[in-house]
Amino acid sequence: MNRIRFGTRVVPISCAFCSSSRLSSGRRHAISSQVPDAAISVEALQKSFPPARSGWRTLLQPFEKPTVFALGGITFEVAPCEAVALLGANGAGKSTLLRILATLILPTNGRARIAGYDAVRDPRAVRRHLGYHAGSDAGFYARLTCRENLRFFAGLNQISGAAAAQRITQLAEQFHLGESLDRQVRTLSSGTLQRLSLARALLHQPRVLLLDEPTRSLDAIGAAEFRRFLKTEILRRGETTLLFASHALSEIELLADRIAVIDAGRLLACGSLAELKQVTGAASLEDAFLRLTGRSHSVAAEGAPE
Amino acid sequence: MTGTLRELWLFFRRDLSIARTYRTAFLFEAIEALFGVALFYYVARFVDSPQLRQTLPQRESYFAFSLIGFIFLDYLNAAIDSFDRSLMEARDSGTLEHLLVTQTSLPVILAGSAIYPFAASTLRIGVYIAWAAVLFGFPLGGANWLAVASVLLATLLAFSGLGILSASYLLLFKRGNPAKWFFLGLSSLAGGMLFPVSILPDWLQLVARLNPVTYALDAMRAALVGGAGFHAVWQPLLVLLLFAAVLLPLSMIVFGRALRRTKTNGTLMHR
Repeated sequence: MNRIRFGTRVVPISCAFCSSSRLSSGRRHAISSQVPDAAISVEALQKSFPPARSGWRTLLQPFEKPTVFALGGITFEVAPCEAVALLGANGAGKSTLLRILATLILPTNGRARIAGYDAVRDPRAVRRHLGYHAGSDAGFYARLTCRENLRFFAGLNQISGAAAAQRITQLAEQFHLGESLDRQVRTLSSGTLQRLSLARALLHQPRVLLLDEPTRSLDAIGAAEFRRFLKTEILRRGETTLLFASHALSEIELLADRIAVIDAGRLLACGSLAELKQVTGAASLEDAFLRLTGRSHSVAAEGAPE
Repeated sequence: MTGTLRELWLFFRRDLSIARTYRTAFLFEAIEALFGVALFYYVARFVDSPQLRQTLPQRESYFAFSLIGFIFLDYLNAAIDSFDRSLMEARDSGTLEHLLVTQTSLPVILAGSAIYPFAASTLRIGVYIAWAAVLFGFPLGGANWLAVASVLLATLLAFSGLGILSASYLLLFKRGNPAKWFFLGLSSLAGGMLFPVSILPDWLQLVARLNPVTYALDAMRAALVGGAGFHAVWQPLLVLLLFAAVLLPLSMIVFGRALRRTKTNGTLMHR
């Protein structure tokens, strides 16, 4: 029996997943208890689109699109100041999971908590403790300056004028935005926009940072700079819990303390890079991912990450 | 309350800052207003007659009657349209989900997004009336401005509910809103905007009597042209406020449910 650290505990993991065949639900990791001080806690989380109908509404079901199960009962926890990567093919459920945690999507079943607050029952408290960054260029008022955008979002996060100005100056310095601060957002490069977006997510000093493919819209150099920036300015400071989704294996290897491998809405494994390699017998993260997802015999499969 | 006012101010300042970046827009809108006023003036000169004036509620000129109807329709359109237009812009620019992950409540986000469009519409009305008064002799001497402002405010409150319902429709169905266009179309026809409702067939007069727009327009004309004070406009004001008291809370409930449904279906950002 192998063991992989989960949250602040060590939980057993069936070594049966070393086989190349896909794991059945009965062979997934059994995680039952909760870590009391977990920064992120997800328990038996399920999501289907559109939701399965009940009662008389089932009569409508034949006329509706078939239900797609995006998450099939995921359970895991992230300890404070830990960095966990969500790794999976397109459509695996990574973004859905992040958006449920960000209170943008409601789960079908199960629980999602940030800093102890339930994302469904207490979304406002959850939002107080989280910063959310979707890795696209969108999401700013293009004709406003960076400073005006940041001041607006700071205000909506209950940061008053003087404190907001101070925080913006601090973040601009930290994120190398000083020269861009009074430029209209529409004139910025993708790399600067990503840093600006990250600065916005951190305005209210959240305990948890959720990043959805943060380097998706960046070129290779921009992506490398952004990763280095995340590592030095966010993770090394040790103040923020990071949960991020990515297809970029180099990004995951650089940033993540642990990697949660998700496939078809199911959590296949979660552990450090070394642990994943050890239990799968793989030489690389890519190989481990392919073995875990049962794709090792078809490496060229379109869903394999880069 | 102070916090809410501050948040509303943030939205207003945001939209004002964006509007200021389009430096010539106000100038062109003012010129457009001038052409609009001139059009109504000359159409009125063509059709106006003492007999026609006898059929109008304040016995005013057709120019004053039709111009007030036109600018009121513009205001009504702003009240109904601002919410779903702001929502659509936020969705299409990707700012919607970033607004929804802030600590500001949904009603404040919704109300805040509509403040600037309301203010801009009020300003536009002012420009229309100023052109009309300065260049075309629009009778402003006896206007009761307090009553005019009260009617405008009550109109905004009354029809914002329809605007929020319209935004709910947009959330769920992503495009268009037949109910909004039906209401605006019906109000244009049976609201007494460009002709008095007395010339309509009986069944349309009944529709006009059930339509709060008719009351709002009567009150607006009475205050602006007839110089009527509160004692004369309290009945239409009451109708508008009752309409607001029912529709605003109802629309917020509907919007909350529509948002919940889009969050359940995962279609919040879908276009």
